[in-house]
Amino acid sequence: MKLLRVKANHFKNCCDGYTIDLVAKSRKTAEDKEYELQEIAPGLFTFSTMAFIGKNASGKTSALELLDCCYSIIEGFQVENKYYSYDGIELEIFFYHEGFLYLYETVLGADDTSTKKAIFRNQHIYKKEYYKSGIKDIYNKKTFTELNNLGVLPEDTSDIFFVLQKKRLYSFFFDSYENDASSYQLLFTVMKTYNLDADVLSSIIRIFDENIHDLQRIDDKNYRMLFKGESLTLTDTQLFYRLSSGTTKGLLLYIHMAVSLQQGFDLLIDEVENHFHKTLVENMISLYKDKTVNKHNATLIFTTHYCEVMDQMGRQDNIWICKTGKTIFLSNMYEDYKIRPELLKSKQYYNNAFQTAVNYDELMNLKRLLKK
Amino acid sequence: MKYLVMCEGSNELEVVRILLANNRLIFGEDDLLGLTPYHARQIENNAQVRTELNMYPGNDVCVIRIGDKQSDKLRIPEEYKDKIVAVNKYCTKPELEILLIINEGLVSEYEKGKSETSPKVFAKRYICCGKKRYNNSSKFYHDYYSGECDKLVNALYEYKRSRGAHQKDELYLADLLRV
Repeated sequence: MKLLRVKANHFKNCCDGYTIDLVAKSRKTAEDKEYELQEIAPGLFTFSTMAFIGKNASGKTSALELLDCCYSIIEGFQVENKYYSYDGIELEIFFYHEGFLYLYETVLGADDTSTKKAIFRNQHIYKKEYYKSGIKDIYNKKTFTELNNLGVLPEDTSDIFFVLQKKRLYSFFFDSYENDASSYQLLFTVMKTYNLDADVLSSIIRIFDENIHDLQRIDDKNYRMLFKGESLTLTDTQLFYRLSSGTTKGLLLYIHMAVSLQQGFDLLIDEVENHFHKTLVENMISLYKDKTVNKHNATLIFTTHYCEVMDQMGRQDNIWICKTGKTIFLSNMYEDYKIRPELLKSKQYYNNAFQTAVNYDELMNLKRLLKK
Repeated sequence: MKYLVMCEGSNELEVVRILLANNRLIFGEDDLLGLTPYHARQIENNAQVRTELNMYPGNDVCVIRIGDKQSDKLRIPEEYKDKIVAVNKYCTKPELEILLIINEGLVSEYEKGKSETSPKVFAKRYICCGKKRYNNSSKFYHDYYSGECDKLVNALYEYKRSRGAHQKDELYLADLLRV
């Protein structure tokens, strides 16, 4: 399964018709096909990496939350434990699965019995076989056939169950909230679930803190750490205060990244630069673009304030600029701007080509006040 | 010293990958910048190569360019001028398909019509792997050579022995082979 496009109405404070397309639109060079794109079916290319940029409060996190919502439906056929209101969210999800294209439409509502789960109304699923010759028409609803009489499910369970039938993960969402002591339990659980080699953890640990040579779980609350040659037994809380917040977050994120690359899961990261050295961010992007590492078409989808990160991205159609007016809306760097490809994207960003500059007058107003 | 291997096309990249996988080159993956060869013509246009150069702290990168004629000069961006200490180019002239032609023993046939037919066109016309005709894809090179790396090595040596039309700065892929 690979997510291709999502469109939403009434999602948080996003504009109607808020659309995120994960399929490549502009010209594809041979080098792009090697690094920037993944051919999930003949002629059907999705991105190795995708970025959302924009000023503060421009809706970058909302974009990831929408994708996360759609992945939740596809992965577990449910939406739950989200903090935003579900009522009236209209979704249109295109995805590719085993040679077929699917279009799923639904309207979410709040579950009267549980505030944490969404219910699914007005569901429709359409299907068509994918052919390379039909690449320009992949989103044309008229070319799909509706699947009828699928059966009845509880109203908090999506009809996508009838297509995919088995719960499984296709993504990880790594939000920008601070971690806590339970991070280590999650880390080892993920490693165990996906049989990740202990050597990978050791290697990741050394990237973030050269003084730590090993970290092992004794049980869910206690860990053994080899620190500067000394073996320490620590509770999760002691470990949390012993390690830097960057190390804890880095371990968790890099372990998720390793699993994502190994399993072909898409990895959604809010504020990729949060706590990280720029080289580590560059390294992550580089790993997703290297097909000898990313063998199963995993996509790295992230928000960032590091505009230099965009210079690592060889295309423009995988960069979305988030903006806010009365509502939140998205522009695509390829479709909505005429930026010459040879120009550095970061320079354009600083030149305010995407209207993303911080308000200079407000900055000076603050300075004036601080000078008093 | 790290080698930055920049292949002009995806087929050259596949050839290098086969040689690397079979340990037939004078360098191994560990000697390569980013542990891998790249499909890149110029540094400035390839974000992946730039990223790897950004991450590597040393000032001892030797660029190995692999392609057919490589008439365009490698432009080294200002920020990497201290990092890159040498640039060498390794050619397969006039086109990479000449290796397939050598392997198939069709050099004299090709020579007869070379003024009108490029190696690529000739290969598409006359060369097959099993039932599959040559189609300029890296998969063809993979299928043709990956199980028989000696065949590729022999073609590289034969190319160097028989084709003397290289300029002084145009090295042979055979020069990269482990003896």
